[in-house]
Formats: sequence, C-alpha cells, structure tokens
Amino acid sequence: MLRQAFAIFAKDLASELRTRYAINALLMFVVVTLAVIMFSLVGETLSSGALTGMLWVVMFFAAMSGLSRSFVAEEERGTTMTLQLLATPMAVYLGKLLFNLLLVVALNVFIVLLFLLTMDQFTVLQPDLFWTVMLLGSLGIAAATAIIAAIIARANTKGTLFPVLSFPVLLPLLMAGISATKIAVEEPVWDNAWPELQMLASYIVVVTTVSFLLFDFVWKD
Amino acid sequence: MWWKILLFFWIAALSVFAIVTPIAGNLADLAGVAQWSAAKTIPVRFMIENTGAAADDGGWLLTGRDAHGRTADFHFAARPEGLDAAEGYLAIARYDSDQHRVEVARILGGYPSLAFPFIPGLEERAKIIFFHVPMSWMTVIAFLVSMWFGIRYLRKKDMEDDFRSAVSAGLGLLFCILATSTGSLWAKFNWGSFWNWDPRETSIFVLLLVYGAYFALRSAIEVEEKKATLSAVYSIIAAATVPFFIFIMPRIMPGLHPGSADDTGSGPVFSSGMDALMRVVLYSMLLGFLVLYVWLMRIQMRLHRIKLRRSDTALSSTERSISHV
Repeated sequence: MLRQAFAIFAKDLASELRTRYAINALLMFVVVTLAVIMFSLVGETLSSGALTGMLWVVMFFAAMSGLSRSFVAEEERGTTMTLQLLATPMAVYLGKLLFNLLLVVALNVFIVLLFLLTMDQFTVLQPDLFWTVMLLGSLGIAAATAIIAAIIARANTKGTLFPVLSFPVLLPLLMAGISATKIAVEEPVWDNAWPELQMLASYIVVVTTVSFLLFDFVWKD
Repeated sequence: MWWKILLFFWIAALSVFAIVTPIAGNLADLAGVAQWSAAKTIPVRFMIENTGAAADDGGWLLTGRDAHGRTADFHFAARPEGLDAAEGYLAIARYDSDQHRVEVARILGGYPSLAFPFIPGLEERAKIIFFHVPMSWMTVIAFLVSMWFGIRYLRKKDMEDDFRSAVSAGLGLLFCILATSTGSLWAKFNWGSFWNWDPRETSIFVLLLVYGAYFALRSAIEVEEKKATLSAVYSIIAAATVPFFIFIMPRIMPGLHPGSADDTGSGPVFSSGMDALMRVVLYSMLLGFLVLYVWLMRIQMRLHRIKLRRSDTALSSTERSISHV
C-alpha cells in the first residue's frame, strides 16, 4: 500500500512539475494578496499581533484556492475511474495527503518568508516556536482539506464549495494556530503556547483518523 | 393525536407560566443591591409579621419576613390598602442602609407562593433561559441525530436514513436560527451589543456554518446515492471538530455565558446551584421541545413517503400509457 501511495504521490508531483498549474497560480495568488495588504497598509503602524491575523488570512485563502486541485484535477481529466481500479482507497488517500502536505508546507514557507521580508513591523520573538506552529498548522490544513477536496470533487460547484465546507472544519485549527502564533510573536515564554500546541497536535490526529475511516465511502462509487 | 394536543398545551402553559410568574428577591438581595446602588429598586416578596403602626413621617412601618425567614422593617409612604386582610406583599422596594429599613416604592400584589429568584444583573431577563436554552440544546441534539442517521446510511445504504438525516439537519438549522436570534436580541439588552464573540456565541456560529455547508453540499450533488454518502461523511467530519466548540471551549475560556471559566458565582442559573422552580420549568420545557422535534420529524417523514408514493404512481401510470402506445 505504501508503494502505491508513493507512486501516486510521485505521479502528482511529476504532473505538477510538468504543468506547474498549482504552483504558478498559487505563487501569483500569494504575491497579489500580499500586495493588496501592503497597499492598504501604507503609512500605517500595526502591531505584530494584528499582522499575525493577516498572515493567517493569507495562509487560509491560499490553501483554499489551491488545495482542492489534487482531487478535482483527477475528476476533470477523467482519471478517477482508472485510479479507482488501480489503487486501494487507502493508498490514494495517503498519496494525495502526502502531495497536499508538500504543497501546503512549501506554500506556507513561501508565504511566511515573503511576509517577513515585506512587513518590517512583523518581528518574531520566538522563531523556533513560530516555525513549529507553522509546521503544525500546515499539517492540520493538509489533513483537513484532503478529505474535503475528495468530497467536493464529486459536487457541481467545486470552487465555491471548497471554502464553505472547509471553514467550519478548519476553525479549531485556525483559532489555536492564530493564538499560538501570537504568543510566538509577542511573548518570550515558550510554555505559554503549550495548550495551543497540544490542541493543534490532537486536531491533526483526530482529523487524519476520521479521514482515513471515511475515505472509502467518498472514493468508491 | 392526543399527545399532540397535550404537547401544544404543555408548551403553551409553560410559556405562560414562565412569563407570568414574578421574579421576587428577598432581604439578602435587597442588601446586596443596596451596596451597588442606593437608589435601585427591585421586586421583593415578604409576609407580614405584624401590621405595624404609623411612622413619624406620616408613612406606615411594619415588620415583614422574607422567604428565608429573615425579618426587617418595611416602610410604606402611606398605610397600605387592605392591610388587615393581606398575608404578605410582592412589592418594588429598595434597602435604606442609613435607617436600616426597606423602603417600599410600590405594591405589585399579594405574596406570590411561586416566584423565580432575583438574579443581580439579569432580573426579568433571566427568563430567557426557558426558551433559549432548550432551542440551543435542540440545535445540538438535531445535529447529533443527523450524524447518527448519516452513519446508519453509510452502514445500511437505506435512503430512508439519509432522508431522516437531512430532515434532522433542517430542523437543527431552524432551532439554530431561533437560538441565535433570541440570544442575539437578548445580548443587546443585557450585554450591550448584538454580538460579542463569547465562546458560546462562537459555537452557535460554527454550528450555523456547518448546517449551511451541509445544505450547500447537498444541493451541489445530483445523484441521490452520492449526495447521501457525501453529506453523511461531511456531517461525521464536522462532528469530529464541532464538539470542541460546543462542549470544551465555552467551559475553558472566559466568557459571558454562565459556566465559563471566569464564572465564579453563576448561582441560580446554572447546574447545581440552580433554583428548584427554575430547574423544573427548564427541564419541562426541554422535554416539550424534544417532543416537538420528534413530532416535526414525523411530519416530514410522512410527507416524504407520500411524495415517494405519488411519484411512484405517476411513474407507473406513465409506463402504462407508454406501453399502450
């Protein structure tokens, strides 16, 4: 099963690198969003806490615009049937999850780096905690969006439905993530963020487990 | 049939009872309010210990005993009418800490044997608990029932279960909107604004979003089986994350609702410390809403079966006419 999963992951990666559909669109999306934020903030002094909120807004909407791709593309190319025949549902889910994970982590690293470069007012007191939260947040986003992408790939209005379905499910992650990032940015003590980190970790575990249990129903016709 | 009539009268009678039954404090409440504001008057009930005598200032002074058995002097502006026949009064009054007596501003009526306790900061507005709390409970229960039938559909693939799941979600959405709007309206008058992002407000907002997403998903899929499967899966995923908002966050975070982390003296409105009469009315109301929910579910299910039968007969008659041709 793991070999199948890695094969699907490699296939997605290869097709992504060949077309660069998601990468190009997503990078442009991030640049455009940051440009809008910067235009609207010219001459304003914002606290790092307020900018944390903006960072998460960019991360959330970037994820919303790109992450449904992995399943929707299969549906659009009409390759879903082939995949259903060739691989077990578990392998498909795992492969797609891995690809989503890679995409989200790369995307968020890009967003954060760009954010740190362009926003002078955004200073981080605890970089180690900050990057831990970013990593956990990315894992959570990937885990939750993978199953929802699989659901909406079967629906008619794919693009608009994705954020609508994802937001309530992602909200615990967003709240814990934002509050932990605020602590990393504003407070010098790592321990203050401990409850949030526990929440992020348990969220990832719960969502991944539930997704594994339910993916069979979503995938099989 | 009979239980529907009973249900109607049950909910109607409870509503009237909840609204008509007065809020009445006792001497401890009067003293407590007097510490905050000397001029504030509250409703208070007391039995007449002795009919008293005319006071120096032309008013009337008598000794009264409150529900807890504490006695105090009650000062009236004039001799109250029907004093000899009255056993006690429900009156608007304040405590005068200089003269150590209760100043009665206005008599509302005789001593009420049934009354809800006076809660500082809530007063008459405390009565929302009998309507708002059952609605909120039904919102959550309907969601869980919807998920339960969703799981049953995934196991047995019976379209009836999917329909039950959808109907329950619809009723849950209805209760959710009712709970949100009553709560929001109430918050304007008690907390100062329609929406405060209190943890429980966040939780009901998330439930609204989940219900909205559930129906958005259902309307976006055409194949019935696929629709049933995917919406069941979504409700299970949502149920994995929603409990955090409903059961955990409102209790561990500071907030405005009773039972929050920073709530030290929620007193009569919450769980163990709740007043006995309030608890009886609240639980009776919960029972009423639960039966109302079951009734609405049954109506919807019957409607669904009738529609199915009609489309079946329409289908078979079309087949017959085609075969005739």
